[in-house]
Amino acid sequence: MLKVKNLNKTFRTPAGDVHAVRDVSFDADNGEMVAIVGASGSGKSTLLALLGLLDAPDNGSIDLDGVELASLDGSGRTKYRSHQVGFVFQQFNLIPNLSAKENVLLALEYSHWPKADRARRADEMLDLVGLNDDKAQRRPARLSGGEQQRVAIARAFAAQPQLILADEPTGSLDKSTGQKIVELLRSAASTQRATVLVVTHDDKVARQADRRFEIDDGVMAEVS
Amino acid sequence: MRSIGVVVILAVAIALSISMLIARDAVTSKINSVKSSTGTTVTVSPKGFFGFNGGGTPLKASTIDALLNLKNVVSVQESLSEELQSSNTSLKSPTPAGSLGQQFGGGSSSSGNSNFGGGTGTFTIPVRVIGTNSPGTALVGGANGGGTEKLTSGKSFSSTSSADVAVVGATLASKNKLTVGSTFTAYGTTITVVGIYNSGSTFADSDVLMPLATLQTLAKATGDVTNATVTVNNVNNVASVTKAVTAKIGSKADVTSTQATTEAELAPLNSVKTISTYTLIGAIIGAAIILLLSMLMIVRERRREVGVLKALGAPNRSIIGQFIAESTTFTVLGAIVGFVVGALLSSPIASALVSSTSNNSTSNQTGFVRGGGGRAFAGGASGFTPPSGGFRGGGALRFGGVSNTLDTLHTSVGWSTLTYAFVIAIVIAALGSTVAAATIVRIRPAEVLRSE
Repeated sequence: MLKVKNLNKTFRTPAGDVHAVRDVSFDADNGEMVAIVGASGSGKSTLLALLGLLDAPDNGSIDLDGVELASLDGSGRTKYRSHQVGFVFQQFNLIPNLSAKENVLLALEYSHWPKADRARRADEMLDLVGLNDDKAQRRPARLSGGEQQRVAIARAFAAQPQLILADEPTGSLDKSTGQKIVELLRSAASTQRATVLVVTHDDKVARQADRRFEIDDGVMAEVS
Repeated sequence: MRSIGVVVILAVAIALSISMLIARDAVTSKINSVKSSTGTTVTVSPKGFFGFNGGGTPLKASTIDALLNLKNVVSVQESLSEELQSSNTSLKSPTPAGSLGQQFGGGSSSSGNSNFGGGTGTFTIPVRVIGTNSPGTALVGGANGGGTEKLTSGKSFSSTSSADVAVVGATLASKNKLTVGSTFTAYGTTITVVGIYNSGSTFADSDVLMPLATLQTLAKATGDVTNATVTVNNVNNVASVTKAVTAKIGSKADVTSTQATTEAELAPLNSVKTISTYTLIGAIIGAAIILLLSMLMIVRERRREVGVLKALGAPNRSIIGQFIAESTTFTVLGAIVGFVVGALLSSPIASALVSSTSNNSTSNQTGFVRGGGGRAFAGGASGFTPPSGGFRGGGALRFGGVSNTLDTLHTSVGWSTLTYAFVIAIVIAALGSTVAAATIVRIRPAEVLRSE
């Protein structure tokens, strides 16, 4: 279970301080899909970066299954990211010179997944997202946008993380493909028992989540 | 395509480094070879001493003996050169006076020169007698100037001997019908022939070698030395020992070493060595900068990839390792191509460098060689064969040969070159990777991913 309390983040800019995240607090259960909706610059991506420990909060706490994450040091953050967090990006962000399967294997390698079982796990995840063996051997450039996002989802879930952070996962896809991706995220959250946080400005995507939050000028509130 | 470009540029820089390295090694090897061939001796003779024509005040053995205490001096050979006029010996010189000698010999009695027969009307070349405390060395070249003398019968005498014995040259022995055990008179004393040597040179084989102490006594020159050869432990110490000997003896003696002349002869090679060293360093730095900038560009272009890898939980060392592997691959490929090209180019590059720097000095050397040849043997008559080196001006002939060898510089690729090439590649890869590593560490995944 994810518990976030009084999370704050301020950026210092030449134009003055920007309070990107203000006293954000919320909970999310395992297997739950949570949508965070907001306009550009509202602070949703910053919140995701804080939860993924890509950035450090000024104050506040992030508790994942009883472990306080905000106070972890550099190596602790790296370990947390490799074991407990999966990222899905708008631009997919697959490694271009690796095949789809190798991209999934990379996440397993960083999470120290047992070596002998990595290939089987990668195949299993690619099968789960609907990519056959032929496509698994292809490099990202030879896959469609939807297929690339499927690979990204397979990579995100491969190491069985407890938290999946998806930043505009449908932003670069057509409606039909986007819908399939959302369904996939939802289904993976359920089968893998992971908490999925989806940042989106698409209301249709948000409505498919178990819970919805709206963020505006760094302040987040649940939408009923 | 960009990777091929990086490898090609690196290959060019590494080829230049390798060719300079090989050229430098070849030049260094040549310099050492020439230095070694010029020997490790320093010659000390009285100021103004001019071969067996005399001149100068003989040095004292006590002064020369003190040279043994100098640093890096291994041994000191002493010799005393005297001339046996027909009035002092039963020996007859085998060397004909020649037309020049006859002119001197037949000159007016009023301007007679005792060395050349003066007013006697019949001039004969005196017999040169050399007293030495190092008969072994004298017989294998050095003190007697021949350089190729070999004992053909009998034996030599000991270095501390004071017996009335002598080893005579084959030509002199033949002229005087001397064999081992024969006797002759010198300075009113009967001398026994204990050995006969042969050098193949009529002139050099006309001498008599005697124990130094014996000759000093007979010639009433107790403690006198007209020549000393100081042997140095290492070719690189010859210059310092020459200085030390000069400082020790002062203005009483001429102190010369073949090294001084050799250094002047080797100046072009030293220039090539300097040029190749600086070019080598420049090429390595150039290659490192090329790789460094290339890697910097690659890392900057792949910032997002680095950010993603960090987001996936890749530790910095893992990402840095990946980029180091990449830069090492570039370097190894560049090194392989560069090594082959560099090895092929090294010979023409070295030859071009040497020929361009040695032209001026070659003309100077020619004058030196001609000037030095026969002067020390001004009294030499027709039929004189110049010695092959070592005694006075004869050595210059050999130095003349140094300039000729400049053009015959041989380049080769040995294990040391391969090792240096490997080290160069490692240095280039390490320098190229360092900046990439520093840039990778500074990349913050949140910033990279936020820019989407």
